Amino acid sequence: MAPRAHVAALLGGVLAAGLLFAAARPLDAVASPGQLGPGFWPRLVLIGLALACVLKLVTDRRGAPEAGPAAGGIDGTVPAVSVARLGSTIASILAYVLAAPLLGFPLATVGFIVLFMLLAGARRAPGIAATAVVGTVVLLYSFVKLVYLPFPKGAGAFERVTLVLYRALGIF
Amino acid sequence: MLESLLGLGVGFQHAVQPLNLAMIVLGLVIGILAGALPGITMLNAIVLVLPFTYLMGIVPALLLMIGVYCGGVFGGSITGILFNIPGDPMNVPTTWEGYRLSQQGQTQYALGLAIMSSAVGGLVSALFLAFFAPPFARFALTLSSVEFFSVVVFGLAGVAVLGRSSLPAALISMFAGMILGTVGTEAQYGVERFVFGVPFLRTGVDFVTVLIGLFAIGEVLEQVATMRPDGTPPTGAPRAVPRLPLLSLWPLRGPLARGTLVGIAVGGLAGAGATVSSFVSYGLEKQFSRTPERFGRGHPGALVASESSVNGSTGGAMIHLLTLGIPGSAATAVMMGAFLIHGIQPGPLLFTKQPEQVYTLFAGMILANVLMVGLGFLAALCFATLMRVPAPILNTLIVVFCFIGAFALRNDMADVWLTMLFGVAGFLMRRYDLPIPPLVMGVILGPMAEQYFLTSMVAHGNDLTVFVTRPVSALILALALLLVLGPSLRRWAR
Repeated sequence: MAPRAHVAALLGGVLAAGLLFAAARPLDAVASPGQLGPGFWPRLVLIGLALACVLKLVTDRRGAPEAGPAAGGIDGTVPAVSVARLGSTIASILAYVLAAPLLGFPLATVGFIVLFMLLAGARRAPGIAATAVVGTVVLLYSFVKLVYLPFPKGAGAFERVTLVLYRALGIF
Repeated sequence: MLESLLGLGVGFQHAVQPLNLAMIVLGLVIGILAGALPGITMLNAIVLVLPFTYLMGIVPALLLMIGVYCGGVFGGSITGILFNIPGDPMNVPTTWEGYRLSQQGQTQYALGLAIMSSAVGGLVSALFLAFFAPPFARFALTLSSVEFFSVVVFGLAGVAVLGRSSLPAALISMFAGMILGTVGTEAQYGVERFVFGVPFLRTGVDFVTVLIGLFAIGEVLEQVATMRPDGTPPTGAPRAVPRLPLLSLWPLRGPLARGTLVGIAVGGLAGAGATVSSFVSYGLEKQFSRTPERFGRGHPGALVASESSVNGSTGGAMIHLLTLGIPGSAATAVMMGAFLIHGIQPGPLLFTKQPEQVYTLFAGMILANVLMVGLGFLAALCFATLMRVPAPILNTLIVVFCFIGAFALRNDMADVWLTMLFGVAGFLMRRYDLPIPPLVMGVILGPMAEQYFLTSMVAHGNDLTVFVTRPVSALILALALLLVLGPSLRRWAR
């Protein structure tokens, strides 16, 4: 992170702590007389957070603040990030979570596995298809039939598709 | 002592009966699997097997639960070491060091150390339980929420020793975690804190969503975003068949002994349990270590200390239940339910009225920890074969399992959203050197600290000096202070 952005992030931390501190003040209205209210502990923690941010600012000014992303690897080196791949990976994960209640867990999972494996570097179509289908069926048997986990079934027509699939697999 | 030995002899005679032995093995298998799967905790597994014990006799029923308990506290270490996904919060310190060792190509060594130190910790703890339970319980009864708060503070003080980052960065991360821990409906007054009208925040942020998101999803994002054009991650995928480093454990006898003792002591404090003991043990180990700078980079001593303390806490936690009839943790509370279902009241009279059953339980714990070496090895072998799965498939399945683990918490998609968002946060924290472990510690230990602090204040009329006027509490807080200031003091002395 650039030094200016670094300072801004820390000042943002102090500001956020201050805002949350203010939000915590009214909580003590319900406290019994002579007792600490439910806002006391969060306020104590927020003071700690603000002080830690200030301490970080001070120590960074004394020493050399990090000029960029710090050590992440075992050997202290930071592997370069492909921003495009990172963005599409995050987007695919969020799309999966968004799609599951709409399409139902089975369809969303098959789609996600195909998409994510392509993003993660898999190139062999038969392997991707087999992983998506077999993996999803195994998960359905393990978690719906054995553990009774009520995965999202989807909305409208997709719910009916999920139920047909469950019946075909003998889960329902 | 002689009475205990004779009792243990009788206990072993019962415990090795085929049905009883089978129950221990079955319990261990269930426990290890449940512990290893994120989102399914050891406590879930104990609750799930409880109904199946209704039709059993008390001895097989309790041995089944003991097996689940001992296996469950270990299981999460396997996925922690292999995939950076701790199965339970108590396995987090093991994950910090074990996964780093695994990345350095020492997966076999890390898995072996975890198995052996878990077994030794659990074994010593079970023997301690068999011989010293009543006097230890009497001492533990003199401690209160004041001392429990100090122990949790000691665990939080370990924040100063985590990773390579600066102390202020670690403190920012820890306080942010503690604030996350305050979100939701407050227990004492029922007031909503930092909910801001978002319905699913009323029940709070479950620490498992934080754990899975920061560690597992964050790691997957890191791997996919930094992989080479040929699809391989820059660190290379380790291959692993665990080996049991019996001789390698000898140089680590110090961390092993300290971890086990911390586990027994902290496990013996009602309400503290394995999670607190693993963090306390990890922090304490850095004070004793000759290579503290290697903590967070794959330190075998730290792994051994935290892992032995986790299983070491099992015996300590059982002391309260058996000798006083007070469950010291959620897991032992469920076990107490099993006792009561079978018409047995745990407490001081248990040792005089039903000594055979008590000593069979002790023998069962000892056997469970011995058998865990073999079963832990087999389980690690099975999970390690997953390392041979190509990275694209493995990373994809990890995301799907994280989805399932988060959803399984409360059958709520909100937890899945939170997990994925914490995953993105975990990736960013990695890139900008904001340490993740202190945040996890804050989320897990923060609510405990608040609970003990407020209970102490209610009990002592808001007198803050109580934390330094009670000797045990003062000693623990002094050690915590030493832990935080130790590195600075050492630099100053030089």
